[in-house]
Amino acid sequence: MHFPWWHVDYLTAPMLIAVVSVVHVLVAHYAVGGGLFLAVETSYAYRTRNRDYLAYLRRHAKFFVLLTVAFGAITGVGIWWTIGLASPLATRVLIRTFVFAWATEYVFFILEIVSAFIFYHYWGRLPEKVHATIVWIYGISAWASLVIIAAITAFMLDPGKWPADHDFWSAILNRQALPQIISRTGGALLLSSLYVYLHAALTIKDAKLHALIESRSTRPALLGAVLITLGGILWHVLLPPSAQAALYAAPVLNVLMALLFAATGIVFVLLFFGPYRNPGWIYSPGFAAAVLLFGVIGMSTAEFIREAVRKPYICYNVVLGSQMLTDEVARVRRQGFLESGPWTRAFVQTKYPQVMSGDGRIDRARLLALPKTGQVELGGVIFQYHCNDCHAVRQGYSPAGPLVQGWTPAMIRALIRDLDRTRFTMPPWAGTPEEAELLAAYLADVSPPQPAGMLPGDPKTGAR
Amino acid sequence: MDPKTLVDTSMALGLPAPVWFIELFKWLGFSLHAVPMNLWLAGILVSMILYVRGSPHGRRCNARLMAQMPVIIALGINFGIVPLLFVQVGFAEIFYPATILMAWFWFLVIVLLLPAYYGVYLYAYGLAGQGDAMPRWKRAAGWISALLLLAIGFTFANAMSLMENVKSWPDLWQRHSFNGAALGTALNLTDPRLWPRWLLMFGLALTTTAVWVAVDAAWFARRESPAYRAWATDFSWKLYAIGAVWFAVAGAWYSLGTWTPETRQTMFQSAWAVLTVATAAAPAGVWVLLWLARKREGEIGPGWASLVGLAQFGVLGINAASRQVVQHLEIGPYFDILHQRSETQWAPVAIFLVLFVLALGLVAWMICQVAKLPAKPDAA
Repeated sequence: MHFPWWHVDYLTAPMLIAVVSVVHVLVAHYAVGGGLFLAVETSYAYRTRNRDYLAYLRRHAKFFVLLTVAFGAITGVGIWWTIGLASPLATRVLIRTFVFAWATEYVFFILEIVSAFIFYHYWGRLPEKVHATIVWIYGISAWASLVIIAAITAFMLDPGKWPADHDFWSAILNRQALPQIISRTGGALLLSSLYVYLHAALTIKDAKLHALIESRSTRPALLGAVLITLGGILWHVLLPPSAQAALYAAPVLNVLMALLFAATGIVFVLLFFGPYRNPGWIYSPGFAAAVLLFGVIGMSTAEFIREAVRKPYICYNVVLGSQMLTDEVARVRRQGFLESGPWTRAFVQTKYPQVMSGDGRIDRARLLALPKTGQVELGGVIFQYHCNDCHAVRQGYSPAGPLVQGWTPAMIRALIRDLDRTRFTMPPWAGTPEEAELLAAYLADVSPPQPAGMLPGDPKTGAR
Repeated sequence: MDPKTLVDTSMALGLPAPVWFIELFKWLGFSLHAVPMNLWLAGILVSMILYVRGSPHGRRCNARLMAQMPVIIALGINFGIVPLLFVQVGFAEIFYPATILMAWFWFLVIVLLLPAYYGVYLYAYGLAGQGDAMPRWKRAAGWISALLLLAIGFTFANAMSLMENVKSWPDLWQRHSFNGAALGTALNLTDPRLWPRWLLMFGLALTTTAVWVAVDAAWFARRESPAYRAWATDFSWKLYAIGAVWFAVAGAWYSLGTWTPETRQTMFQSAWAVLTVATAAAPAGVWVLLWLARKREGEIGPGWASLVGLAQFGVLGINAASRQVVQHLEIGPYFDILHQRSETQWAPVAIFLVLFVLALGLVAWMICQVAKLPAKPDAA
């Protein structure tokens, strides 16, 4: 509402955030867990004077740097890029609130970059103690950046007392922070072990070395699975009621939850009975790839669920999916949705100057005097700014047209009027009754007719 | 349509820090980011041309620059976070609409950056592993990276000029929208400021690359021959001359040909004229320093190179300050950050600053560990 809305056909702009985020977390968690793994294992290899293991760790460090410092860093910036485009109001609130948390995270990023490059490029040249210290600097910095970003994303699910006091500490020490830090730490440990496991399976032929890597990498993986479960339970217990309800009510989220538990369970069982209890038992790149695939499925699913349970909010009780602050709804409803946003108002003013009153405001009474095509077009403007955050138009991601397929105009009007009560995962309607008529006209226009041939009904048209 | 009505200043969120703090960190962050960004913007292209021209020293310079480039790009991306963060803190009202109008192109920056970065890695590792026997496709990766990074620079110039060019928003929006929502396909191509702005940045990037060649020769090329270091000093001076002339021409076009009369009057006739003169003249100072190094010693020494490096950072800093002032003047009629309300919580600021200082200490410690190392035994 405050900013122009970016219309992305079929997918919807916010789904781009989901795509970039999922891709990023799969590498970002490895960047944290892999850093801790390299820190622990390099120290261990130096301590035990295991040259073969050191040689492997060096090879792994190259893969690690190539993947995390380039792909991880760019996709991380990519999330930021995308949220600014697809959800500018929420981004503004987050940046306004957490600017110094982000600045602090940036400090850790710099430490990560410098230490990662020195650790890899000066391998074999630095004294062992210094070399190990540098990789620990990396590991601790990476985990610190995870703590900060987990607390910020947790704020989006439960901002605690922040809406009342706007205090930084209320925001960062929110109730969801600890569960997310625990589960993300677990995710980082688990996922990084799976990367190591696959990398080793692909690059190592020596069975003895492989058995060592299996046993060394499986322990943090199992610990990770336990932390994910513990964090997940805490996350669930502390969820706001609406998020809990959304989790139970949406069939897709039920399926995804089952998938998440199944994937985590499968990974745990495979690792426990495979490399942990019987090192060398199943020793193939295919098995390692399968375990990583289950880990990736679990991680991606968890990210999607985390995003989805917030509906109708982008930030719980702060920013709505309809791109307005919660405390703006009453004013916007009074003033009119089209009138309240600079871009919607400008559209009306340019395209339909006849509805503007003498004082330069939209005269809501004149909206319904427009010809039908004009009403549908303005309904389309309202749809873009009020609904397109979660719904594509005719086809694509949760398209609005098919959702009201076969509905009568009265049913559509009733839905709009009681939007949040019809479905609590939708934001409250924030327009005037006249604007509800415009939106209803648009939805009726984009919805396909009732499918023909459905019984009982008219065998020819499907009509009642 | 009055473009001013498209800038929504109704949100009463306030600023999380005083305006001076935001401005200071935006300026400092951009100045720091400009160093590695300049190096990848012009450095890769220059380095690839040096290889094609085929002189042994030129090829050596190409190898050195490209081997350093992965680290330079990593630092540049991270240094870029700071100015972007503070732009969004202070200028959200104009930054978001501008980037949303050109959303797909802005998004493309990330998409292009990935192959550009991996292209540099391919080239650098190819060079390290195979030297001149590197296959053509790896060589091509270097060229592709250079072109992609130039395209990314152009997109940035587009976004930053669109942010200042609020009066072009209504037309771009109307031509690139669907039911009032932006399609994200608008580019600010008709803005007269766009091309000189991009070219000016490229000229500046040439000068920074020139200085880096000299600094690298003095500080990090201990294993290279004295003849290479002398060549690098000479090349640095010549490249700087080209960059400075380029910068002067593009700068004159930008300031005399595209600024509004009000901006011109302020930047040329008020106290800000001192900054304008400093911005224009500063590169000449660095060029003189390089000329003196070349004339006096043949090859540049570490002390003099450090002085040149600091002076170039000053050039970038003055340029960033000047552009920040112009940005204020251009967006002033639509948005005024100076009158924004701020509600500062100093504890998080203090934690950030303390950690920042500690981190700088740790970085310095790590670099010292590397600096203490003897040269590689297998060195050339």
